[in-house]
Amino acid sequence: MNLGTRKILDRSFTAVGFGSIAVMGIALLIVLVPIITNGVGSVFFTGTLEHRKMLFNEFGRGNTEELVKENAVSEVYRQQIYGMLSAFESELETMDAEKKQDYLSKYGPVKTALQTLIGPLPGEAEAILTRYKYGQTRWGKAEEKLHEFLYETKWDFSNPDAMSKEYFVSRATEFEGTSLVKLFPFVEEHLEDVLRPEFTVYWGFLTDSSVDSHIFGGIWPEIQGTFFLAVGAMLFAFPLGVIAAVYFTEYAREGFFNSILRSANSTLAGVPSIVFGLFGLAFFINTLKVSESKSVLAGSLTLAIMILPTIIRAAEEAILSVPKTYKEASLSLGSTKWNTIMTVILPAALPGIITGGVISLGRAAGETAPIIFTAAVSVGSAIGLADVFSSPTPALSWNIYNLASEHEAAAEIRHVQYGMVLSLVSIVLLLNLSAILLRARISKKLKG
Amino acid sequence: MMKTMKNVLLLLAVLFFAASGPVFAAGNSIVMDGSTTVGPLAKSFAAYFTKKYNVKVTVSESGSGNGAKSLLNKSCDIATMSRAMKPQEMSAAKKKGVNPVVHTVALDGIAMIVHPGNPVRNLTKAQIADIYKGKFINWNQVGGPNSRIVVIQRESNSGTQEAFKELVMGKTAQISKNAETQASNGAIKNRVSSTRSAIGFVGLGFVDRSVKPIAVNGVLPSVVSVRSGSYPVSRPLYMYTNGQPVGMLKKFVDLPKTPDGKRMISELGFVSR
Repeated sequence: MNLGTRKILDRSFTAVGFGSIAVMGIALLIVLVPIITNGVGSVFFTGTLEHRKMLFNEFGRGNTEELVKENAVSEVYRQQIYGMLSAFESELETMDAEKKQDYLSKYGPVKTALQTLIGPLPGEAEAILTRYKYGQTRWGKAEEKLHEFLYETKWDFSNPDAMSKEYFVSRATEFEGTSLVKLFPFVEEHLEDVLRPEFTVYWGFLTDSSVDSHIFGGIWPEIQGTFFLAVGAMLFAFPLGVIAAVYFTEYAREGFFNSILRSANSTLAGVPSIVFGLFGLAFFINTLKVSESKSVLAGSLTLAIMILPTIIRAAEEAILSVPKTYKEASLSLGSTKWNTIMTVILPAALPGIITGGVISLGRAAGETAPIIFTAAVSVGSAIGLADVFSSPTPALSWNIYNLASEHEAAAEIRHVQYGMVLSLVSIVLLLNLSAILLRARISKKLKG
Repeated sequence: MMKTMKNVLLLLAVLFFAASGPVFAAGNSIVMDGSTTVGPLAKSFAAYFTKKYNVKVTVSESGSGNGAKSLLNKSCDIATMSRAMKPQEMSAAKKKGVNPVVHTVALDGIAMIVHPGNPVRNLTKAQIADIYKGKFINWNQVGGPNSRIVVIQRESNSGTQEAFKELVMGKTAQISKNAETQASNGAIKNRVSSTRSAIGFVGLGFVDRSVKPIAVNGVLPSVVSVRSGSYPVSRPLYMYTNGQPVGMLKKFVDLPKTPDGKRMISELGFVSR
């Protein structure tokens, strides 16, 4: 090969390398930017007076005096809105029956839309579900709902050969000639006075329990459940994994049995996680009956089995990378095999073992399939440590799926879903970071 | 040595901190598993019950079939189901020493939903059956625009799926292989609201402005038409317990009969009995 071609090849290889790094970076940006921006929005957002009312009533938080003052200001405008409604209602009574019927059918949706926007209207029985007790708690959502209040969505069915297109009709024009027509510009202009948006920092999103199936409140039970499950899995898998690795590297004799064990371990590492989930249900819950129902214990055991092969492999590699001379030196000084493993080989291999362990911890925190049948529930309170043997728990990974796909109001609580995703990503990142730090510290100690 | 002691103490402190969670009445907890259709009801009941009686209630939504299996394996206290238990399940229960007792929660109509942009307003039961059998593949065969029908069904584990098959298709009919499967009511709603030519079915409580319910045999699904029985595709929603419930469990299954329970059912868009 002449020098020219070699140069071209070399350059093109560099270009491809840079290119793939750039593609990865862009992909990461596309995935991470929405997660971070929307996820941060679950804690930092423009909250309305309804949010502060909700915090006060459901969690007993907030300044009473301040709230009373704000309420008084808001009430001035609310009363005007209510006044317009009752004026229109009495006007309805004076109309002839046909016209009244017509207006009544249009008035219902207006009231519903207003109710979702600013909360319950006077004269209606108080709702039991918390979601109907308050108006919009987030200003961003309130603006969406304002549009729904001002404009009716209609569909253009004029072309019978195609699916119709959506268009918006101002509700105000439908009430032309009645007293209600004033309501729409009034609400549009004074919504800020009614809802009083204000920049809000809601740390409670991380430390509160959810209210009314995640429509209000926070995600503490999910965060706690994730921790319990991941740490529980680690408690079982880590010691077992290290012991197995020591056996493979130091005690097992090469042979048929040993190679079968090794390939079984490798196969286990490639088994889809849902299979572990079903195995956990069949073995731990239905056969061994480690708990009466799904529980953190059953979930941890299932996750432990799932991450065991990875831990064994990582620990094996770490032990094998300890220089043989260490072992020989120890043995030549008269140390026993057991003593050598405990005092020479394992400490030297520890950084590698820990790295494998923490990567598995991150995986255990993020897996959904193994805990669907063994530990996760869609609604439940935060559990105490004493409950881990008997109680199931909500957990981030499963609840993200549940809220995004199964929840009856999935589109209304996107901020909660993003908040959960960001929390999960942060937890895994934090775990990995602590592993790196721990590893660095241990390596330094070993060298020093 | 001192350092190890310190670490151990720190660990203990952390454990105690974690253990000091909310305190519930000892031994009093209710575990529910089953239908995603009953999900919103179960979750709301659970929150209400926990607040009122300080009893911990957990809810899983994994499908009616799973609810029945959990009850048979005694791993839940209440199985929520959107269909009645099948004879096979009943006999399997008897073999395992489980005695399923049925409690009706609410009535529900299975709403046939399409995208709001779809001009079709009404289908007969036979037309719906033919769509799901794969006989009709274009909306213009049932009075709509020229567009291929995207048929969406639930997974085999779903009670809504079985109730739909029984009420609309007849027991022996097969759903077309081209039908797409979604795993929950919410997922079907999402799919239909984002696909212009889709048709799917969900519980009445899941219908909102993002989708359009269509009339079946000329009757729109609503609280009134389901309660009166004029909407042809309706069914009851159930909770099953092992044996007659006592204590808190009894209070819980009786919740749908209380005024507050009935209010919650109607606020969620279902039909109280």
